[in-house]
Amino acid sequence: MAFAPMGPEASFFEVLDQHRASLLATLRRGSHEPPCGGTRPTSSSEVLASIEHIIQDIIASLARNEAPVFSVDNRSSWENIKFEDSVGLQMVSHCTTRKIKSDSPKSVQNFALILKILSVIYKLVQSNTYATKRDIYYTDSQLFGSQTIVDNIINDVSCMLKAPRRSLHILSTSKGLIAGNLSFTEEDGSRVNCAGCSTAVAVPSNIQGLRNFITDAKFLLIVEKDATFQRLLDDNFCSRMSPCIMVTGKGVPDLNTRLLVKKLWDLFHLPLFTLVDADPHGMEIMCIYKYGSKSMSFEAHNLTVPAIRWLGLLPSDINRLNIPKSTLIPLTKRDQMKLDSILRRPYITCQPFWRKEMEIMTASKMKAEIQALTFISSDYLSRVYLPNKLKFGGWI
Amino acid sequence: MEGISVAVCEILRYLIIHWKCETAGISKGVLLEGQLVISIEALNSKHQENALHCVTTIACASSSYGGLVPKKFLKEIRSILPGLSAKLRWTSEEASCSPDASKVSPFRVIFEVDEGPSMLMTDCLAIKDFLRRIIVVHPKIGFNFSVKVNGALSMEIFGTENEPIFHLLNGSALAVNHQHYVRPKCGVPEFLCSRIHPVPGHPVTVSIPDDVAGMGVLGELVLTPAAALCPCPKAFSNQENRISSVSMFLYGPSGLPLIPPGQEQPAAIFTELTCVIDWKKYHLCVGPSVDYSSDRDLVLPDVSYQVESQEGAQAQNVDPWGQTLLLFLFVDFHSGFPVQRMELWGVHTMLTARLGAVLLEHQRAVRDSVHIAVDQALEQHHQAAEAHRKLRASHAVAVSSIMSVVSGSTSSSFRQLCLQALQELPAQNDGAQNAEDTCERSGPERLPETSGQAEGKRRKRSAEETLGFRSPPAVSPPGAIPRRLEPTEASLDPKEWEAGPDRGRVPAPGSASPESGLEVPAGAERGREVDHPAVIKRRFTSVLVVSSLSPLCVLLWRELTGIQVRRGGAGAAGRARGEARGRLMPPFLWLSQAHPCSP
Repeated sequence: MAFAPMGPEASFFEVLDQHRASLLATLRRGSHEPPCGGTRPTSSSEVLASIEHIIQDIIASLARNEAPVFSVDNRSSWENIKFEDSVGLQMVSHCTTRKIKSDSPKSVQNFALILKILSVIYKLVQSNTYATKRDIYYTDSQLFGSQTIVDNIINDVSCMLKAPRRSLHILSTSKGLIAGNLSFTEEDGSRVNCAGCSTAVAVPSNIQGLRNFITDAKFLLIVEKDATFQRLLDDNFCSRMSPCIMVTGKGVPDLNTRLLVKKLWDLFHLPLFTLVDADPHGMEIMCIYKYGSKSMSFEAHNLTVPAIRWLGLLPSDINRLNIPKSTLIPLTKRDQMKLDSILRRPYITCQPFWRKEMEIMTASKMKAEIQALTFISSDYLSRVYLPNKLKFGGWI
Repeated sequence: MEGISVAVCEILRYLIIHWKCETAGISKGVLLEGQLVISIEALNSKHQENALHCVTTIACASSSYGGLVPKKFLKEIRSILPGLSAKLRWTSEEASCSPDASKVSPFRVIFEVDEGPSMLMTDCLAIKDFLRRIIVVHPKIGFNFSVKVNGALSMEIFGTENEPIFHLLNGSALAVNHQHYVRPKCGVPEFLCSRIHPVPGHPVTVSIPDDVAGMGVLGELVLTPAAALCPCPKAFSNQENRISSVSMFLYGPSGLPLIPPGQEQPAAIFTELTCVIDWKKYHLCVGPSVDYSSDRDLVLPDVSYQVESQEGAQAQNVDPWGQTLLLFLFVDFHSGFPVQRMELWGVHTMLTARLGAVLLEHQRAVRDSVHIAVDQALEQHHQAAEAHRKLRASHAVAVSSIMSVVSGSTSSSFRQLCLQALQELPAQNDGAQNAEDTCERSGPERLPETSGQAEGKRRKRSAEETLGFRSPPAVSPPGAIPRRLEPTEASLDPKEWEAGPDRGRVPAPGSASPESGLEVPAGAERGREVDHPAVIKRRFTSVLVVSSLSPLCVLLWRELTGIQVRRGGAGAAGRARGEARGRLMPPFLWLSQAHPCSP
């Protein structure tokens, strides 16, 4: 067994342990409610049958002399999203739908591309092969136009078939990294130890297939940016705070990173913290981990971890630590709009402390990167800021 | 001696010019108002064989004839129409015995002429053309035109009073209902947008040539062009569309047509007007139109061009799915120019004779202005063409995706249901076809068709469809026959088909063998049916049947989405069908060539 790095003394984790206990208590209270809605892993035959059903409907409407239409749940409207503290953002059961018509020049391209992706999925599921979204894009890049179009259509199809992306045999390229006290076995049997190497391990692409997770971690730290993540690795943060796990999604997290965080939470019920920039974009990323996004709201049950807490960088820390204004960045108009939009979201009502922090940001009209802390000292973040926050419960 | 049409039109011109002068003092842009009744009563002539004695009455139902002095009117009209001088009567004071006597009819002009029946028919058509030309620019003037030949009465009312109107900056108005300019198309139940959307160009000042100025007509004229596509490009978003003809309408001062009705287009006008547009700029190749038929309820253009297709082959008839570029040229006096009745008359006469020369003298300015209008009008066309291109491309993708799933499925119940649904299609297609036949036959200008001809045409059409969509050897690529049956989904992809026949014989490494391509992979947990050779065989048959029905699927798409296929001719729609066929035929061909029962 690998040599376990010496972490801080046991008393350091007292507050963390209390936090964990309270999280578990909350979980026990809410465990009676069965999860509703969302997608569940679907068998291949079910996916094939769903696609056949859709094709059948199209042919039937052609036979009726009607132009075929797809009805897709309208996920772009907040009206169709409900917020539940225990789940995050999820779709309402009877949400409004938008029609993708085959006889309108505006939507016909979308209609055709959905059919194209359905036929690709059909082929993948039939042949039991997997493809990434990028693969699919390159099969006919001329036709698809851009990767975003493919991504959106895959989300639509996933929502339409009520099946997670994995069941559709579509993989997303993982960009996330993981490091710290964690080991697991991949689907092919290879054992991965995230603590064993000085560099981080890439988040695997098949999260469903991972088995035998082992960890003693006291907490999991989600770092917004890869640069900060690497900096913490260089500063031996994982060893200093051992046992712990660090994850980064390198900005807006991909599906696999979110699935992994969710899986770790489901398995170990670790306290989870986010370290993001004190700006609206950082908050948005934290919200995606915690409450999910509108576009993936149909899969919220598999992706969101409402137990996540905001560790830093809090806008109030900027004043508290006397970070000079010169290291701060003024809020742009776009930032302000983003901030306003977050303030309007349903989950902000149950986060009075967040609201307070956001009001501080609005009042100061300034935002700060995590790197603003290097003004105090180059290793202030890993040696002082984070340990203190963790030791004394400086999260909200 | 002048015919009835010339006399009627000249009198109407005189009246409208008179009204215009009367209202000139009010303000510019006020639309002329009035109701005119024109009736021709023809009885077999007692003096002449094969001739009709026609009594033509032009009456104004209201008192808007204003200060028209009978003596002056008669004098001036007689000078314009010397042949009629003896037979023209002003009868406003006389008691009338016509059925319209109950109506107030303070102005009533009657003239009598003897004409042959065919001449009378031509005259009536010319009068109708003239009235249509008038009402599209004078929405508040209405005409009641009736012809009674030996007791048989036919009556038509012309007017656009309650119709949408487009007001041009120069004070002219234009009726924008497309029905005035094109005949409703068969097969299209209803246009999405029933209007034309005229785009005005900026007014161009043109001076009257010096040699004409001597005739007592002085000053400057303003030419305002307006361009529009008809029908509105929005109506064509689902169809292949191209500009198939260009129609020019020339209006002089007071909104009167410059070229007298019934007059054949002089070759010179055609040549001279050609200079107002740089056709090459729009990649249009135009030639004179041969379609002068006036027997339709449309406003006849002064000059009509037929746009040749890009291949250079000139279509024999006006493309039924093409669009017409309408170009209106309004010539009027410069604002504030004092206008007298005889001056107006003189300018009309001058423009009729010399318009080409006037335009040539200001060619550059006129062309710029016309181009601005045409550019904007064609922008709509380009957008519609782009929308159509998108629709067509997307439908091809959708159809091939559906076919890919249907042909690749291992679920017999699914294939069966698809097959059943597809089997329902032919009846509906026949129905659509019959409707189209009916529509074509009921066209206003169509000659009665014998049942034998119709039957022959249907048979021909059916044969065309069979050849076009169902006969595999017609487009069979060389070297395709030895291909082995490999009904995997991938091989149904038309692109791969195009990649060459060798692909079929030598499967790519890792690709499924002919049989294994149909098998459910071990990993796919499908609890439906295990692929047994018998099942595979059955599936082959099913795939073949379903694939053979794919042309029907395409036909239905066509019906639904309005992609129309032209029968005969090398039109763009024909090309569309060719393309659809090209995309869909390979899998079908291939499946039919490799016998389904050879496992």
